[in-house]
Formats: sequence, structure tokens, C-alpha cells
Amino acid sequence: MASDSPSSARKVVVHLRATGDAPILKQAKFKIPGTDKFAKVIEFLRRQLHRDTLFVYVNSAFSPNPDELVIDLYNNFGFDGKLVVNYACSMAWG
Amino acid sequence: MDISSWDGTLSSSDFCLAAHAFTEKWKRINPVLPPWSWVPQAKITMVEGYLSLENMCILRSCEVQSYSHDVRYFDFHIVYSASYRVPVLYFRTYSSDGQPLLLEDIEKELPGKSTNVLMESKWTFITQEEHPYLNRPWYKLHPCGTSEWMKLLFLTDPSLGVSQGVPVELYLSSWISMVGQAVGLKVPLEMFNKRKE
Repeated sequence: MASDSPSSARKVVVHLRATGDAPILKQAKFKIPGTDKFAKVIEFLRRQLHRDTLFVYVNSAFSPNPDELVIDLYNNFGFDGKLVVNYACSMAWG
Repeated sequence: MDISSWDGTLSSSDFCLAAHAFTEKWKRINPVLPPWSWVPQAKITMVEGYLSLENMCILRSCEVQSYSHDVRYFDFHIVYSASYRVPVLYFRTYSSDGQPLLLEDIEKELPGKSTNVLMESKWTFITQEEHPYLNRPWYKLHPCGTSEWMKLLFLTDPSLGVSQGVPVELYLSSWISMVGQAVGLKVPLEMFNKRKE
């Protein structure tokens, strides 16, 4: 998986991590083309969890803009050959 | 205070520290973008202030046909809320001819509304109220959910050890990654890169 030469067909391994009381996914790891936008990861999470309201963020304490490319996120914040994406569900209001 | 018992909020003096760290980093990483500036408000016992970024140009997406290729200008102010103990984003927006825009127009154009988790989760909402320092109505992103999601962002960062304190100087970068999405302000990834410094 680790490679120094950029390849437009390169896939990124994404590892989805439940935080708080968010449900844990059966399929928590998947591969996505690096050229896809982060919005695809968010959409995947929503479909799997059947929820629209999700708080999605990565280690390094920020929430990526849905327009960011997955490969850019992996290059900057990935480790051990994967990009860890945390998710939490909407908390009670108030 | 160690991070596991942190409530996601900041003191007023921590906000000043965070603001200066944020401004420095923004300038260093984005020499092309307009810089944030600190606008001091002198009080009797201490200096307060807020961060200002004005005339920020944000291109609208071409999805909404009638607004395609149109340019919107934003003024952003980051103001500390003493009651919530968190930063609050105030903003106003206008078209290229200086006409202020209505909230309905803004909401129609907010990028990727269906993926805008911050707005849809009800952790914030947009209201209009008087700017705390300038006696004019501005739009504001309500701060009620801020401490919750700030706490979540920092707690799950493995590079922040339990024995370390709250990294105040990183607070605003993380904060703006969330609120920026609600108003179409993109934050360059370098702002979050701790490793490479």
C-alpha cells in the first residue's frame, strides 16, 4: 500500500472509528480512490448508519471539508497505511 | 488541566492566546489569502478583542443556475462569548455590488447543504443579532453546541496525551474547520498539520 510515487488510480484505505455512543459498523474498513472527495466517505457513513446527522472528523482534531480529496487527507494525516475517520452521532440538544 | 476532564471551553485570556497563535499560523501558511487581524477593545481591567477577516471572496458553486459564476463577499468576525466560554462566528455577506444578502439567499447557497453536518445536526443554527462591539445586526452561528464538539475533536486526537494540557494554540484551527463548513469558508489542510512543524 505505501508508495512514494503518486498514482491517480491509487486507493486509500479508510478506517471508520465510532466514538461516543455511535454504532460500530460491521464493515469499518474500505478502500476508496484517492481522487474521490471526502464527501464520499460522509455519504458512505450516512448510508451505512441510516442517519443524516453525523459529526465526522479525523485525528489531528479537525473536521475535513467535504470537498477535500481523500488522497490529500491521507498524505497529510494518514498513518500505518490508512486514514482514520472518526464519527459521532448528533447529541441531545441543549 | 488535563484533556480528559476538559469541558471544551476557553477562558477569555486563553481565547486571546488562541487568537494570536491562529493569526500567526494563518499568515504563515496562507500568504495569498487575506490575513485575520486582531481588533482590540480596551476595557478597564483587561484588553479584549476579536478577530476580523473582511472582504473575503467566496465563489458560489455553479449548482444553483441563477447564481452561477457569482461572487460573494464575506466579513467574518470571531468574537469570544463570556457566557458560553467559546468563540462565536459573526458574519455578514454581500454581493459584488455591495448589496447585503438575506439569510434565505445565504442558506440556499450554502455549499453542499446535504453534507453540512454542522447545520443539520442542530449543533448550531444561524441567527441575526447585534454585533457585541459594533452596533449593527450581523449573522451569527449560535455557540450552544461548540464546547461539545470541540471536546470531541480534541479528546480523540491520539497525539494529545492525557498528561498534556489543552493545546489552546490549536483551538481556533480546529474550531474553524467546523464552523467554516457552515459558511463556505475553506480552511487549508496545513492549518491542522501539527506533525510537520
